[in-house]
Amino acid sequence: MSSKTPVLFQIGWNACINCGACVAICPQEAGFISDFDTIAVDRPCDIACMLCEDICPVTTITHTEVHSAKAKK
Amino acid sequence: MTFPEYDVVIIGSGPAGATTARILAGNGFQTLLVDKRQELGAPIQCSGAVSRHALEETGVPISTEYIQEAIYGFGIYNQEGRANFIDYRKLKPDEYGSEAGKKPLGFVVDRRRFDRFLLTQAERAGAETWLKTEGLGYSLLPNGKCEVRLRRFNEEIKVKARVLIGADGLQSQVGRWAGLRTHIKITELASCLQFVVDRVETDGLLEIITGHDWAPGGYAWVFPKGHGYAEIGLGVIPTLTDKNAQWHLDRFLKDSFFKDRFSDSRILEIQGGGVPLASPLRTQYADNLILVGDAARHVNPITGGGIHTALSGGIIAGKFLSQFLLSGEEPSKENLKGYQDAWLEKLGNKMWKLYEEKTAIFKLNDKAERDQKLFETMSSYFHPESEYKKI
Repeated sequence: MSSKTPVLFQIGWNACINCGACVAICPQEAGFISDFDTIAVDRPCDIACMLCEDICPVTTITHTEVHSAKAKK
Repeated sequence: MTFPEYDVVIIGSGPAGATTARILAGNGFQTLLVDKRQELGAPIQCSGAVSRHALEETGVPISTEYIQEAIYGFGIYNQEGRANFIDYRKLKPDEYGSEAGKKPLGFVVDRRRFDRFLLTQAERAGAETWLKTEGLGYSLLPNGKCEVRLRRFNEEIKVKARVLIGADGLQSQVGRWAGLRTHIKITELASCLQFVVDRVETDGLLEIITGHDWAPGGYAWVFPKGHGYAEIGLGVIPTLTDKNAQWHLDRFLKDSFFKDRFSDSRILEIQGGGVPLASPLRTQYADNLILVGDAARHVNPITGGGIHTALSGGIIAGKFLSQFLLSGEEPSKENLKGYQDAWLEKLGNKMWKLYEEKTAIFKLNDKAERDQKLFETMSSYFHPESEYKKI
């Protein structure tokens, strides 16, 4: 389930019901949130546990892998 | 520049935050209650069921301003649709009913109106209340106070406080500022979705439908919502299913023993949330800081109900801090532990016991046995003789 490659999350904002479950389950430290009270979408997540994707009631969180060269830019 | 100074700053104006504010402001403490939202209670993440006893016990006036429908009991269903009805109109007909002189057992409330009502109560007790104000962080000051950074609309404001209270919900950032591990295990957070619907009949009962086939790890519900509406929802534990809550709810509507009852339903609202079926947070305090409500996971781990526990937790926090702030002691972590001790004694120890009961059920590997046990537990939980009925 878990991959060590950092990921950047994307949220389907139309499907998102603003329930907050993704943030509640997220093991990141304070501040890994978006302006819409979801997990952050503007910076890579290096834990990449994907629990937020699993908990989402409407399955509207997806991710792309961020490879290190790109992440450093 | 001098910063505004308060005895307490409370981040988050839900039932827990607003109640804590009401008690503290009412006892004469300088109280600032902030919430980032423009309209409290929204987006709705809750079904809104609360007992009359909970409101009375915590001093919340019962008002048509927020009540959507009165409740008189429960219907607990097993997977096949066999039900135990616990209808107080039949159990205690002299006491419970909709007729004059009789009373309801509880209510389904509109969280938008309910949370606003509680804010009003806090504000009338003397609390300062700021909406559109988010918390950005806090730091300890050498004088034993703390500095809280806030953003109110576009303006960054620093305020000083003796104690910061995190009442910012399940997704609590305030707890994380203090390094408390507030996130919940994936096996203990139910992923919930509900529809407010038209054309589904209800009869003053909270209906709870158990069974792995309908809601793996959780349960489904049908609650009256006033004006002839109902709310139909469910929560699932993601590790027990490879489908999402939306898929399970759709299936519950179309394929369950209620499919005829639901066949003409029309969806009016869509809501969701994470509901912890988890233990209370082990540490609910830090230097100059305590957590209340969902942020401290003050949620019933069997029912997922959180309004009563939030209101009660707010009272406990408010009373504890009222005494504590008068004592003049430093609000260090060691000294604020007293809040958690008081909470455990009044409420928390019972919640831990419920958590253990719930854990034992979901440890059962045999699906049929687990379903039967959950059905029995839910039935006995809502029974008039239950030792837990007052949580």
